[in-house]
Amino acid sequence: MSTHAQGNGNPPEAMTEEFVQEWRNAAYNCFSSGHKFCREVCPVMQVERNESWTPTAFHANVVAMEQGELSVEDVAADYVNCTQCGACELRCPNTLFTGDFYRFRTRTVDLVKGMRALAVDQGIHQPGWQRWNRLTDDHRHEPVLGEADGGIPVDQAHVADWAAGLDIPIGGEAVLFVDCEAAFYRTSVPRAVAQMLQLAGFEFGLMREQWCCGGPAAEMGYVEQAKRFARHNLDDWRAVGVKRVIVLDPHDYIAFTEDYPKYFGEEFDDIEIVLAVELFAELIREGRLAPSVPIERAITYHDPCRLNKRKGIWEEPREILRAIPGLDFRDVDRVTQWSYCSGGGGGLPVEKPELTAKISDRRLEHAAELEVDTLVSACPWSERPLAEAGGRRAIDVVDIHELLAESLGIEVGGSRGE
Amino acid sequence: MSAVATPGALDDRALEELAQVLGAEHLITAKPARMHRARVPAPFPVHRWAEHLPDAVVLPGSTEEVAEVVRIANRFRIPVVPRAGGTGLTDGAVPLRHGILLDLKRLDQIHEIDLENRTCTVGAGVNMLKLNEVLGKHGLIYPDDPASYPCSLVGGRIGTSGWSLIGSRYGHTRDLVLSFVHVLPTGDIVRFGDGGGAKISKSSTGYTLKPLFMGHQGTLGVATEATLKLYPKPEAELSPFWAFEDYDSAHRTLRELVRADCATFAGAVIFDEHKVAYLRRDDEAYIPQPENVRALICAVLYGNEDEVRPGGRRLMRIARENGAHYLGDEISQGDWAARHDRYATPLHGRTKAGQVVPMSWHCEDAAINWTELPAVRREWHAIVARLRERSDVFDDWGMFAYTSTRTGVDYLTEIDVGIWEQELDDETWAMWVQAKRDIAAVAVAHGGSISACHGACREGEVDLVPEELGGAYDVMKTIKRTLDPLNVMNPGKYGLDGSFEEDHK
Repeated sequence: MSTHAQGNGNPPEAMTEEFVQEWRNAAYNCFSSGHKFCREVCPVMQVERNESWTPTAFHANVVAMEQGELSVEDVAADYVNCTQCGACELRCPNTLFTGDFYRFRTRTVDLVKGMRALAVDQGIHQPGWQRWNRLTDDHRHEPVLGEADGGIPVDQAHVADWAAGLDIPIGGEAVLFVDCEAAFYRTSVPRAVAQMLQLAGFEFGLMREQWCCGGPAAEMGYVEQAKRFARHNLDDWRAVGVKRVIVLDPHDYIAFTEDYPKYFGEEFDDIEIVLAVELFAELIREGRLAPSVPIERAITYHDPCRLNKRKGIWEEPREILRAIPGLDFRDVDRVTQWSYCSGGGGGLPVEKPELTAKISDRRLEHAAELEVDTLVSACPWSERPLAEAGGRRAIDVVDIHELLAESLGIEVGGSRGE
Repeated sequence: MSAVATPGALDDRALEELAQVLGAEHLITAKPARMHRARVPAPFPVHRWAEHLPDAVVLPGSTEEVAEVVRIANRFRIPVVPRAGGTGLTDGAVPLRHGILLDLKRLDQIHEIDLENRTCTVGAGVNMLKLNEVLGKHGLIYPDDPASYPCSLVGGRIGTSGWSLIGSRYGHTRDLVLSFVHVLPTGDIVRFGDGGGAKISKSSTGYTLKPLFMGHQGTLGVATEATLKLYPKPEAELSPFWAFEDYDSAHRTLRELVRADCATFAGAVIFDEHKVAYLRRDDEAYIPQPENVRALICAVLYGNEDEVRPGGRRLMRIARENGAHYLGDEISQGDWAARHDRYATPLHGRTKAGQVVPMSWHCEDAAINWTELPAVRREWHAIVARLRERSDVFDDWGMFAYTSTRTGVDYLTEIDVGIWEQELDDETWAMWVQAKRDIAAVAVAHGGSISACHGACREGEVDLVPEELGGAYDVMKTIKRTLDPLNVMNPGKYGLDGSFEEDHK
């Protein structure tokens, strides 16, 4: 941990006090009940077995801070150990049984984001995250192809390279948002999405100047940077009259449906966010896309945390998979998958890649028990760690859009990151 | 060096030895890590958190490492507090003399599943729900089902001699654990079971030692690995809920239901009118119930379909003949399915003026005979009513009583008390401790036991333990001194420090 104050002008004590007051009751709701039902579904807890890195501990720290027993500096590094998957929130009896009546739910993800932001505001940095966000700020996209300064092709000049030969216009009422991992690393995903949209006759363009959505910076606590990026993207949309943004990355989807409305309020109300996987399920339902090329694979589906646990989206991906001929689909229900995770979220692979590897390895262990040859995901960020773990077990990891495009007879092209 | 373990004995030399055994990664001295292992879900005097901090946390990865930690603790006279899930309600895992906190969660391996003899052997850090996810693939179940089923761990179940909601059918932890590997307070490793074989359920060889090393709350060492008895996953489950107009009718019906002696009967629970009123505060299943619903019973049957069905018909008939009103399939199935989650959320807390405040749920439990339930209920509510009268920190959340066994001889009887921890101070904490003492005294006066389930080593209730146990308590002290001559294991619990007074002088 290094200390380098950025700050927002307030003295650190006042910032901490404000934070503690904001979270005080929520923290006691967890601390007091002490159920810890969240523990065994937490992906980090499952592999580390360290009680300090649990949703319960993350809440108890706030109580201890109020008591003057702990400071932000004492606990900041503990909050690295969270993928922000949201399983704990779903498994919390407080959410399950008081949500409707009291309009209360446990919000561990927001608490973790808040504590990370408080640390950054007080100049307490995790070295990996600090470097990552500096590079993101420099290149407008996350350094997904490697962190070496200079010479990396992650920058504006190359942000639409993935679309080579697809003849996609700039601007229009609907734009396809493609940043970071999908734009530079797993380019087969946006290529598949774009070509399927074209096949269905769905009109869309690209942004004039596409930046990172800003979500990862917000997840790691670099809120000022996240807001700057968000502002840029919104201005870019406005400049070309965008009304709809098509999103293929669940992490972007979280940023647009949770962060942007907080940043912009009413200003953002008229922008419609369309999740590609939901759109494709609809197009199949309407008969506008008809997958017909059989794909002979034994698959299981990985529910991306940000779709299943954070957004309750689990039906549409299954609908798509069931529409693809030839698949032997060995499904695991969405609730069992609350305790599954790739380990790829919340900045964890940036700061603790070894922990991400353990979590993704465990996910592949579950897949291997089903004796499948393929694990299908719907999140580019999950696919890199899952593919690394899959390589060790001879299980192929593919994106649902890649698979659907193949069944539609599309030569996808691009890179699967190999 | 002191003759027995004392706070402050953990010095740099001891830390160095611990690091050599465990690796630096699994020896933690950072304050947040120590704070998180200083408490359990029971109400906690938050303003006195620092009094319970361990000096170091160790996360051993094997029985041998656990034993080595205990040996080091003996050499340096350092208190050791074992902790598995840390979900207990009697503070067994809360350090009273600082020292080393022995966290067993890394012992989470499933070592063996023996499909032929229907046993499995697991580390002490394995959770029952997770274990059953694995066993389910083989059509088997480990039916140890406490309220903390989604989070408590096998090791803690042994250390506290756990109680199971479906124990009337399958037995409790003591019946379900066939044998376990145990690290004695001196660091020696032994196996306790029935006789010497790991998978024997009944032996007459030698002393029957297994029960002695269960429920000691860590004062006699620590279990690290257990061999468990498995059952076939039941084909059928039935969990009817019935409503009554008054407690006494429900109490009588409870006896009749138990006396039916259905072989698939797994347990019955009675809710009193305070519990029903508490549920009416916010529970969508109970708010619409008519005003004359003042008590509830739930009975549960598990087993083969062709046994559960006629058993269920029999219980339904008995309930009907006793004036019970069946609440319907939806509430019956839903409430039982939600049994671990439903009854203890902090937002159900209310001040006397009706303000919603976050309260911690606390369950004071005792073992009470069926005949004594009405009297104990009256006396306990009176104690909690006096607390509430004196302070808004306390709230009466009603009572449950659960069958402990199929004959209905005794019941795990609990009064649930909401406690507003944000406002706890020395004065209200003292009021609470006195109330616990009074609650325990009622149980003893009625020929019961202070705890059926949690243990009885918390402030307040623990004072009554010598009275409840009489001469048996002196035997406990003798055993403690013999097996743990340096008072290393969880010192301060159960008043057993009294066995070492001479050494402290």
